[in-house]
Amino acid sequence: MLGWEFPPFMSGGLGVHCFELTRALCRLGVRIDFYMPVSGQKVESSCPSIRIIEVAKTELRPYLFFSKASQKASYGENLISAVREYWKKCEEAVVECAREEKYDLVHTHDWLTYKAGAEASRRLRMPLVQTFHSTEFDRTSWPWDYILGVEREAAEKADLIIAVSNRMKEQVMRLGAPKEKIRVVYNGVDYARFSCPQTLGKAEQNFKGGKKLVLFLGRLTEQKGPVQFLHAAKKVLSANPDVIFVIVGKGELLPLLINMSISLGISQNVRFLGFVPEEEQKKIYKMADVFVMPSTSEPFGITALEAMSSGVPVIISKTSGVAEIAKAAIKVDFWDIDKMADRILAVLKYQPLAATMSKLAEREASSFGWEKTAEKTLEVYKEALSKHAERKL
Amino acid sequence: MHICIYFQVHQPLRLANFSITKDYDEDMESYFDSQLNRRIMEKVAQKCYLPANRLMLELLEKNPGFKVSYSLTGVFIEQCKMFAPEVMQTFAELAKTGRAEFLSETYYHSLSCLFEDKEEFISQIELHSKAISEFASPSKVFRNTEAMFSNEIAYLAERLGYKGILAEGLDHILGWRSPNYLYTVSGCESIKALLRHYRLSDDVGYRFSAKWWSEYPLTAEKYARWLSELQGDCVNIFMDYETFGEHHWEDTGIFEFLRHLPQEVQKHRHLAFSTPSEIVDKAPARGEIDVPHTTSWADMERDTSAWLGNDMQKSSFAFLESLGKKVKQTGDKDIIRVWRMLQNSDHFYYMCTKSLSDQDVHNYFSPYDSPFDAYINYMNILQDFAKKVEQRL
Repeated sequence: MLGWEFPPFMSGGLGVHCFELTRALCRLGVRIDFYMPVSGQKVESSCPSIRIIEVAKTELRPYLFFSKASQKASYGENLISAVREYWKKCEEAVVECAREEKYDLVHTHDWLTYKAGAEASRRLRMPLVQTFHSTEFDRTSWPWDYILGVEREAAEKADLIIAVSNRMKEQVMRLGAPKEKIRVVYNGVDYARFSCPQTLGKAEQNFKGGKKLVLFLGRLTEQKGPVQFLHAAKKVLSANPDVIFVIVGKGELLPLLINMSISLGISQNVRFLGFVPEEEQKKIYKMADVFVMPSTSEPFGITALEAMSSGVPVIISKTSGVAEIAKAAIKVDFWDIDKMADRILAVLKYQPLAATMSKLAEREASSFGWEKTAEKTLEVYKEALSKHAERKL
Repeated sequence: MHICIYFQVHQPLRLANFSITKDYDEDMESYFDSQLNRRIMEKVAQKCYLPANRLMLELLEKNPGFKVSYSLTGVFIEQCKMFAPEVMQTFAELAKTGRAEFLSETYYHSLSCLFEDKEEFISQIELHSKAISEFASPSKVFRNTEAMFSNEIAYLAERLGYKGILAEGLDHILGWRSPNYLYTVSGCESIKALLRHYRLSDDVGYRFSAKWWSEYPLTAEKYARWLSELQGDCVNIFMDYETFGEHHWEDTGIFEFLRHLPQEVQKHRHLAFSTPSEIVDKAPARGEIDVPHTTSWADMERDTSAWLGNDMQKSSFAFLESLGKKVKQTGDKDIIRVWRMLQNSDHFYYMCTKSLSDQDVHNYFSPYDSPFDAYINYMNILQDFAKKVEQRL
């Protein structure tokens, strides 16, 4: 399996997915060599039958574009050449290792790893499964033609494609993949990690100051909808001033959002926490009275499942992959700020609603384990192998 | 053996979207989405009520032995008069044949039988009788909202002069006994319970167009044969009238099934169509049933959990009930009427959060995105209504 990141070196859903998926596949008896760029940090295998092989050094974080200009300035062409370098080294490493370790199949994730996997699988004559966690359209408002080109090629050439939601499936079809080749396998959540009871200490209680807490957690980019979140905050505060809005995450929109909270006159009630490590995240989920995910485009949205695991009522945008499976959630259109504000106020006001949502969210999240994701992925592997064998005959 | 065919006819009073921050100086008419209610009534009139009523009239004319029974809720009659008067005319024609019986129930299709104070329940039954008597002769048989039934409900019905009452033929009530006999009810003098044969009723109501069903397709001949093979005094086939043309569309052949049913049944000499009143007069009670806890015909549980299963449902229902005293004190006709309209059981049905297969049935009927949205909207309106009650005291 070819990946790009693995905890603790991580900036998005892809890393969580690879980590959890390999762990769960390993429990199903699958042996995996996981290839990734040299991270410079200590990355440990979570399971004896997973080997982690770091192949090329890079410190580029492709999911953290700040703007088209800074994207170019910070790494621009550098990114592409770094990715190309990774592809080349990764491909060679896979072919090299295949001499000793008999691989059955190559699994790649997103455009970042596709080319390496495509070449390696061609040389080793084995099937290629490609997972799409997002496409260039979901990540940025300024899609790169080069990246789109790689994605189109992956959509066309992979033996089978895994999409993390039906939404993603449609997006991949737009890239040119035939419907018959795509299997939808939803992400999961490590329920036990987020559900563990956390009592609020003095510091947390002081932070809330007796107010209700509304949480946003995600990259601060247009696709994640932080702007809508602030507009909704303004409306909520005009009806109920005893609320604070917490924004966790970093990204290109941070300066704009700070200015916006000042010009809307709500900066007193908005807190920007920046990047927060997982242990702190768990606490913040526990402090939250409602979690809002107002994404305009969200292939899946694992954070919604994390919030649900923590027993937080969630309001999610209808245009998210997770909305396809989560029943214990309120779903709104990302552009319907009035309704978003209305629903936030309702969850804060009606105690039986918050209690029912909390209970059901936890129960539901506990059923979205990664085991299911791994089982479905294994089915896709088997299908790809049998198709490949047929073709050889 | 008596064959009793009974149809429940009802359309909910769907609520308008009501914001939590809305000013409460508006008319209470704005609580209800009359445009949506009109649209649905007009649609169902064309697909179901008109073609089904015309077919019934035809069948009654052609088959002198055919009989049928209905219960029309008061809110259905009101909406019918406003949005589809032709439907009411055909019901009046059916009543004129003397072979269609119109049973008693609560005017507002309410859960008022579960109120602590039973006066409201009784008032709504009286209101309903008055509405029915405008076009049909009053019945001696009572059927409560969604077939809700208990010893106490039967006792109240008996006190109001009813000789029979409809209920669900549940296995745990009957034990080894058959639903195909009449029973007296524990704690009552002589009122007789007619019990629904749920399997045969659901064969038409739910399974008629189910291709996975081993008996698919169901013909009138086969169904009549099943009826003829039963032992007992009566078979009670109860279902929603919307079975015809709405739950099962015309192209499933449901109308053809109905068209042939009377003649196929009458091929079996020992079977005869009867109305509930006739059965209560002619057939003896063969035993006694004891139902301390309220049963109904809804969901897998067949109890009140479809309406009062979770905290949102229980607390909003309690709030609604608690307003009763003040509502009556105002002596304001509009206030009393709106309070009763808000008792419509459907409002609570939409808030149901059961998982399993039943949730899909609830969703199918619900105008809301989720049970949470249903609760929020209902509470927004109920809170506004409570303020109006205070103002008019």
